Order: sequence, then C-alpha cells, then structure tokens
Amino acid sequence: MRKTAALVGMLCLLAATIPPAFAETTLEKIARTDTLTIGTRTGSPPFGYVNSKNEWVGFSIDLVEQLIVPGLSQKLGKQVKLEKKESAPQTRIPLLTSNAVDLIAETMTDTRTRRDSVDFSLTFFVTGAQFLVKKGSPIKGIANINGKRIAAQQGSTNARIIREKAPKAVLREFPDQPAAFQALVQGQVDAYTNDGIQLAGLKSKAPNPAQWDIVGDFFSYEPYGMALRKGDADFRNAVNNALMDGIESGKFFEIYDKWFGPKGELPYPMSAQVRSFMLLQVMPK
Amino acid sequence: MAYKFDWSVLWRGASAEWLLSGLAVTLELSALAWILAVALGIVSGAVRTVRFRPLRAAATFYVEFFRNVPLLVWMFFWYFAVPPLLPTPVQDFLFAHSLEFWAAVCALGVYSGARFSEVLRSGIQSIPRTQFEASVASGLTTFQAYRYVILPVALRLIIPPATNESLNLLKNSSVALTISVAELTFQTRQIETYTAKAFEALTAGTLIYLVLCTSLSAMMGWVERRTAIPGLITARRRR
Repeated sequence: MRKTAALVGMLCLLAATIPPAFAETTLEKIARTDTLTIGTRTGSPPFGYVNSKNEWVGFSIDLVEQLIVPGLSQKLGKQVKLEKKESAPQTRIPLLTSNAVDLIAETMTDTRTRRDSVDFSLTFFVTGAQFLVKKGSPIKGIANINGKRIAAQQGSTNARIIREKAPKAVLREFPDQPAAFQALVQGQVDAYTNDGIQLAGLKSKAPNPAQWDIVGDFFSYEPYGMALRKGDADFRNAVNNALMDGIESGKFFEIYDKWFGPKGELPYPMSAQVRSFMLLQVMPK
Repeated sequence: MAYKFDWSVLWRGASAEWLLSGLAVTLELSALAWILAVALGIVSGAVRTVRFRPLRAAATFYVEFFRNVPLLVWMFFWYFAVPPLLPTPVQDFLFAHSLEFWAAVCALGVYSGARFSEVLRSGIQSIPRTQFEASVASGLTTFQAYRYVILPVALRLIIPPATNESLNLLKNSSVALTISVAELTFQTRQIETYTAKAFEALTAGTLIYLVLCTSLSAMMGWVERRTAIPGLITARRRR
C-alpha cells in the first residue's frame, strides 16, 4: 500500500517536472498540419465577433486571413488553412503556451509584463481607455470617478490602470463585455471602462446608441499586437513580414477602411499620427 | 520555447494579499450560502415527506425548479433580474452595498438548498415509517415528531452525502466571479492579469481549494463520528 502511494507520488512529481518535449517550431507545425490556428474573440466588434449573418469576422481576423495566411503560404510553398478558436483575456496566454493556438489575433494590448510570457507582432491598432456612461452622467473622465462604481473587463489592462490611478473608485470586474454592459444599463455600475474603440463598437451595437456617451481623454495607451509563443523568432518574423508587406502595399489600410472607414462597420478614421506610426514600423527589405 | 515557471509571482507585489482577500470572500460567501442552503434544505426536505399535499407540492416545485436550472443562470437572475423588480430606493441601496455579493449568496444558497433538500428527504425516507407512527401515537404532533424524532435521526444519517453537497457548494462559489464578486478564482485570474503567469496562479488557486475541501471533509468526518447513533450507523471508530 505504502509502496503504491510512493509510486503514485513519484509519478505525479515526474509529470510535473518534465517539460513538454515539443522541439517543433511553429513554422514546422504549420507546415506539417497545413493549418494556422488562431485564438480570437466572438464578442469584440469589430475586431473579432459573430455578425448578424452568423459569420465569424472582424478586423483582426481579416488581417490574419488576407495578410498573414498568404504570407505563410508563400513562405512554406503550400496553401495554409486558417482555423479559429475562441480566446478570452484569461485563456489566451495558456492557449498559446499549451500549443492549442499559434497566434492570438484579437484585441490584446502589448505590455512589458506580457512580454515576459509571450512575444508580440508589430502593433496593428492603437487606442486608449475611456468610459462609457449614460447620457448626462456626472462622470467626465478618470478625474471624477472617486467613489463611483466602475465596471471593467476581467483580465484587461484597463482594470489595472483604474486600480493604480483611481484607487478610490469601486471597481467591478466582469468576465465579458455583455455582462458589464448589462450592469451599466441597469445601473449596478455608473460607468464601464474599456478601450475607446471597443466602447465605440459596443455603443454602435447597442439597441439605442444615442443613449450612451463615450467620455474622457485616453487615460492609457493600448497598442494592440498579435501574441505569439515566446522565443520563436522565425515565426514572429514571418508574421511581421506579412504585416509589413501589407502596410507597404496599402492592403493593410484597405482592410482598415473596410472596418473603420467612413462606410465601414465602425467609422473611426485613422489619424495622421497613427498612419505614420504604422508606416514607420515597416523595415526595409 | 518551453514555458518558464516563476513561482515567485505568488508572493511578489500584491499577489499574496489578493489571494488572502479572495480566500476570505470565498469563505464568507460559502458560509452564508451554506447556512441558507441548509435552512431551506431542512424545511423543504422535511415538507416533502409530509402527508399534506399542497405543502408537499410547494416543496417539490422549489426543488425541481431550482436544481434543474444551471447555477450560472441563477447568478445572473439574482444579480440582473431581481433588482429591477424592487422599488428604486431599495435598488440604489443595494447597488451601493455590494449587491453582487448578496446576489451570489442567494443564488448559491437557494440552488444548493434544493440539492440539500433531496439529501435530507432520502435520509428521512430511510427511517422506518413506524418511527413516525410511534411518535404520533405517543401524543406528539406532526411538527413535534419531526422536530424531536425524525429530523435528529435523519440529519445524522445524511452526513456523508451532505458533506458532498457542502464541498460542491464551496467549489461552486467560484461561479460568482461572473457577477464580479472578487472571490478566490477571480483573484487567481487577477494575478494572471498582472503577471501573465497563468499556470502559477491557477496552481495556487487549485491548491487552496484542495486544502479547503480536504479540511472541510475531515471536519465533517469528525462530526460524523461524534454524532453516530450506536447500532444504527457503523461509523469508523478512532483506534
């Protein structure tokens, strides 16, 4: 009996200490399976969401489909298929490190802390945190949220910044956007904070958009990048080169206009500053 | 490319403080919900075994309605659907006083109460009917028979399955994070957000739940031995 217990204990210890023996790089994995698996969102319009025709689409998905997949196909000399999986702020890093997905393409902010665990591609979108409030709310920005109940998304950078910059605000964190918005609609919270662009997406999809205001200056800087497994430079280069090719050829801006142009899903014109930032990220051939 | 473990994230920065506060919320929430669940369970479980039909029907409705809807739905129900039914001043008061915590207590307590109820009913029904008849024949009212004879025996009989339900309740309290209650699971995710170290944070959470549940079942085991009825249940004796 005691021997069995000791054996089981040893096995558990062994299982815990053996590192997963995947010597395969991401590019080798894609070449073997002919598939690029990405993690993306189903409820974050217009970056990754299920539209009214029940199609899983979005800006981040388009970037992968129209720039990265063709780039990888060309590099590997064969057609690569795209497979999408649902990811969320709490699951995206484990999905990546466990090899369940190869690339996170959604609304993930590139941060220095996250770079300890994953690598990031070029920045493909720039936004900052703001507040969504009922029209006529006394909340005008981060300066006057003391004592107010503020909803945020669990696992987001926004919650963290509120905690640091406005410790007197009462933070309520919800696992997803719909729950946080419902709490705002009913008055459980006074404001909902998220990246400005996401709030704009939420407002435009709300039953009565005119009832809501997006207020406050950006109180954070949120550069979106695609996350990749750490230390796989060849794959990261392939992804970055595909993005650079797209920015250089103008295809990137076409896709941007499709979603954020005047006739796009969510009009959000790119500022001249952001445009030149995108162009400056392109390294010479 | 293998994942690099860094366990120090669990005590660096505010992590330890978060885990402790999460643990406190989990314990508070579970304890209050447990009291509610046991109270509801005893009443409805006992009522389900009485002769009077309308009472029995009401208890059956409670049990079937609450245990057959997912707990997650109940969380949303108590948090989102109940407040609009209340007058505005009450709503404002609740919104300003941790509505999410009390909603979670109700959701978890009422849901688990329905499950406790079935456990108690099976305990009562395992007692020979003659016990009840004998107590009534000796001059007790139905209420007295339940209060002094049936329930004291049934409650002792059901300790093992009730332990099971209590452990479930404790673990189910993690569902409260969906309505923004900052309990233990929430805090482990918080650590992940700040440090991007998901495996370490989850492992810490897992171990805490494991320790909590193991101690709870050890405690219930002790209660079971202490309250065993000689001859009726053969509890394992301490040597």
